[in-house]
Amino acid sequence: MRRVRRPPYPFPAEPERIMTDRVLIARIGAPHGVRGEVRLFAFGEDPGALRDYALTDESGRRTFRIAALRAAKDHFVARLKDVDDRNTAEALTNTDLYVSRADLPPAEDEDTFYHADLIGLAVDDPAGARLGTVTAMHDFGAGDILEFAPTEGGTSRLVPFTKAAVPVVDLAGRRLVVDLPPEIEAREGEGDSESGED
Amino acid sequence: MSRAIWKGPFVDGYLLKKADASRASGRSETIKIWSRRSTILPQFVGLNFGVYNGQKHVPVHVSEDMVGHKFGEFAPTRTYYGHAADKKSKRR
Repeated sequence: MRRVRRPPYPFPAEPERIMTDRVLIARIGAPHGVRGEVRLFAFGEDPGALRDYALTDESGRRTFRIAALRAAKDHFVARLKDVDDRNTAEALTNTDLYVSRADLPPAEDEDTFYHADLIGLAVDDPAGARLGTVTAMHDFGAGDILEFAPTEGGTSRLVPFTKAAVPVVDLAGRRLVVDLPPEIEAREGEGDSESGED
Repeated sequence: MSRAIWKGPFVDGYLLKKADASRASGRSETIKIWSRRSTILPQFVGLNFGVYNGQKHVPVHVSEDMVGHKFGEFAPTRTYYGHAADKKSKRR
């Protein structure tokens, strides 16, 4: 039987809906051991930074602080303040942990943006016509890419996140301008292969 | 088994011609390609390609570090949406 490779739990298969005031940063998994430790799935760039954030649940009413954090195989094991036994830890399984957007450190320079700030922005063309809405940011190893869903529907578009292709990012105005670069096609049949099949 | 060295790197010929034409024109256009199997050659450095991933063309700006790899390596065919969390992007 063919094995299907799946991304490790709990990564989403669809673009995330971003709340502008709070950012999903981690998720509590199953309890670990009997002393109240939990598995923790961190989504951020630096999992160690979780110790510095004031974390809340989805409702924003309950706050969490991480007392200790260590790496495990494909997750982290955390000890939360005021969680001292397995039963309490078990009750927290699948709790999403959010951090206030205001608590995130400022970006290094004016051309660096948090994905959470970009996702959901309106996409306009240079003439001001609405093209769509930003749904995701990617980096496949050849530069950052902005993905937006067109207003008219259909397949999403991918644009390089460069000053030439995205000349304006107006976070206050909740919009950015995309200047789609000209395209030419290179198709088979326009020339011969340089060498044989590999 | 790896490819014999005497054959040289594989690249589709039409792609090579298109890249040369694009470089000669001096315009910063995106070359839409379907040839994921072609090797990235030094003469592609600095050009912008749109590599087909089965659904759409993924923008690929070729840098020196990418020479010797295949175009398909930079355009995954399965989209994975992680969480935005505190990840950042820098506009080049």
